[in-house]
Amino acid sequence: MEAATARISRRQERRRYGSGERRLAALMLSPAMVVIALVAAYPIGYAIWLSLNEYSVRVPGLSRFAGFKNYSEALGSSEFWDAVVTTFLFTGISVSLEFLVGLGMALAMHEAFRGRALLRTVVLVPWAVLTVVSAITWRTIFEPNLGLATQVLSTLGLPGADVVWLGESGYAMAVMVLADVWKTAPFMALLLLAGLQVIPDDVYDAAKVDGAGTWQRFRAITLPLLVPAILVALIFRTLDALRIFDLPFVLTRGSNGTTTLSLLAHQELTTNRLIGLGSALSVLTFVIVMTVSFIYIRTVGGNIRDLAKDD
Amino acid sequence: MKILRFAAMLAALVALFSIAACGDDDDDGGGEGAADAEKVGEAKAQGDVTWCIGKDTTGAFKTVVENFNKENPKANAKLIELPTAADEQRRLQIQRLRAESPECDVLGMDVVWTAEYAAQGWITDVTEAVEARKDEFIPSTLETAFYDGKYWAIPFNTNAGFIYWRTDEVGDKPPESWEAMYDTAQKDNGIVYQGARYEGLTVNFLELLYSAGGTVVNDDATEATADSQETRDVLTFMQKGIDDGAAPKAVTTYMEEESRRAFESGNGTYMRNWPYAYALGKESKIADDFAVTTFPKYGENEGAGVLGGYDLAISAYSENPEGALAFANFATSPEAQAIQASQASLPAVLTDVYEDPTVTKALPFASELRDAVEQAKPRPVTPVYPQVSEAVYNNVFAVLQGDMTPDEAATKMNEEIQTALETF
Repeated sequence: MEAATARISRRQERRRYGSGERRLAALMLSPAMVVIALVAAYPIGYAIWLSLNEYSVRVPGLSRFAGFKNYSEALGSSEFWDAVVTTFLFTGISVSLEFLVGLGMALAMHEAFRGRALLRTVVLVPWAVLTVVSAITWRTIFEPNLGLATQVLSTLGLPGADVVWLGESGYAMAVMVLADVWKTAPFMALLLLAGLQVIPDDVYDAAKVDGAGTWQRFRAITLPLLVPAILVALIFRTLDALRIFDLPFVLTRGSNGTTTLSLLAHQELTTNRLIGLGSALSVLTFVIVMTVSFIYIRTVGGNIRDLAKDD
Repeated sequence: MKILRFAAMLAALVALFSIAACGDDDDDGGGEGAADAEKVGEAKAQGDVTWCIGKDTTGAFKTVVENFNKENPKANAKLIELPTAADEQRRLQIQRLRAESPECDVLGMDVVWTAEYAAQGWITDVTEAVEARKDEFIPSTLETAFYDGKYWAIPFNTNAGFIYWRTDEVGDKPPESWEAMYDTAQKDNGIVYQGARYEGLTVNFLELLYSAGGTVVNDDATEATADSQETRDVLTFMQKGIDDGAAPKAVTTYMEEESRRAFESGNGTYMRNWPYAYALGKESKIADDFAVTTFPKYGENEGAGVLGGYDLAISAYSENPEGALAFANFATSPEAQAIQASQASLPAVLTDVYEDPTVTKALPFASELRDAVEQAKPRPVTPVYPQVSEAVYNNVFAVLQGDMTPDEAATKMNEEIQTALETF
């Protein structure tokens, strides 16, 4: 039934816009398409081409077609799979935490109180700090012996004062997640706050009249109506987190289980100058990110459509 | 919904972009004429010369440029400062060289890049210029500029590691051997070095390996030679140091600055570091409580260091190679070298400069420094050095972390170096 309605409406739409108008639309869009082709399609195609070749590190200008050799080398190496695991682990943990923290911050900022404008500005400060700068700060904080973290922990007599934070697998990842959450939770909060502000007040008023408590209002009104904003925020953050580079580069240089896909590609491309292999790793990262975004749209994107229909 | 899909697509594209941008090298870069390397003609101090080297933190480089311009009215030298980090300097130089940019005439080149730059035809053969002045240089520094039978650069400053020790904790006598030093360190306050997973760890490991008489590649860098008893011994020695607490676990996160800060704040009886830490240490709260020495014996062998520093190469794309050579000669002249040594603590490459009174005044350990440089050896000279180094530091690091036994690491290191040497 639903499908049939959709088909009918689509047909109606097509009738409404005649073929002449569609041609005009295509014409008007073409400059934008040319720009997209130049800035997006060309570099992507070029990266794919690079990944199918080998470039000599010995003889100037010498290269040869390698087919899928770079890909089989990448897919056959444990470094690649370790990086995949690390990247997904980091993304999963950090995005979940950012969502929870960001939601809390958004709800707090949404309430009317004195100094709200100030709070909204202050909260955004971590987001404004360059990641590299904040990463260097975090590295200093977690420096063994001299770092602030160790000093504070040992002064308070808490466990963890003798931990070499960036020198152990699990802890290094924890610091990386902490640094990321600190920086991007405000961004999440901002997106969610925008979502909160479009929820009309009368819905809440009606619920209050019906005797709904705070928690009920949150569960039955705020959360469902916030879903579109949540999804946009999650997609942005997930895809961003999947290509994390600066934090592990500064904090650990990829040691102790923090080598992410981007870091690995960077190592092969710029340090080792293996342009073919490095490009193959970049393309693989691209494919992974694309896949994840499609899964997002297929599974959770459907929810939005359902929500829209419920109205 | 459309917006959502668009946002996802956009983010995914950005993802590829940001990585693809790192690899935007042109496939036919390098240049055709480069294969048969050009030679620089006679040095002529004229025309515009641009010098691209790492950040001039002390003003010593600017002084050299000013003096050159003062003495050579027909020439106009200028300095382009690259970032402080060597990786970044290399990236920016390679970017220009691949684009065949004539912007940089004289390149400040880390000694480990010589083979790569020369193989790619990015720099010119300066054998004649070097041969003419060969006797002035400390021989080991010349080795860093030598590849494939030719000299590709003029040594500019050199570097070698030192042992710093706390005289208030273990007295005025320098350690007799690495083993004795680790023993004392274990009982006292430890030894700090550069144990993070990066180039510095390769250097720290090679210092021990060279002292033990081992190598990681053969003389012409065609075969890996790391699968040896010496490698196993040194790895076992380093692992034991961490395990029994002679070196704190924290060293596995230390680069140069972290080790210096730890040592200066009293977390370490000994420190392995470069000479730059001396001048800074003299301004710290332990100023009167430390001394420096060259590497001690390892077993029965004399200690050996690893050479660092920078050479000056002339870009193959320079429009004024004669002027560039004149500038490189000037910057490596005894006068200019003395200024750098005293003003910037940059160890000179010329033997006589170490006796210059202004230098011995600024660097009281000048004679130890020259000894250290003379006993030091270059790192493997090969265009695939970054991969060789990666194979070394990854496996040494795995041993320090307890993820691999010295035996496994020696085998794997050798395999990975061999693979690197066979790169297309």
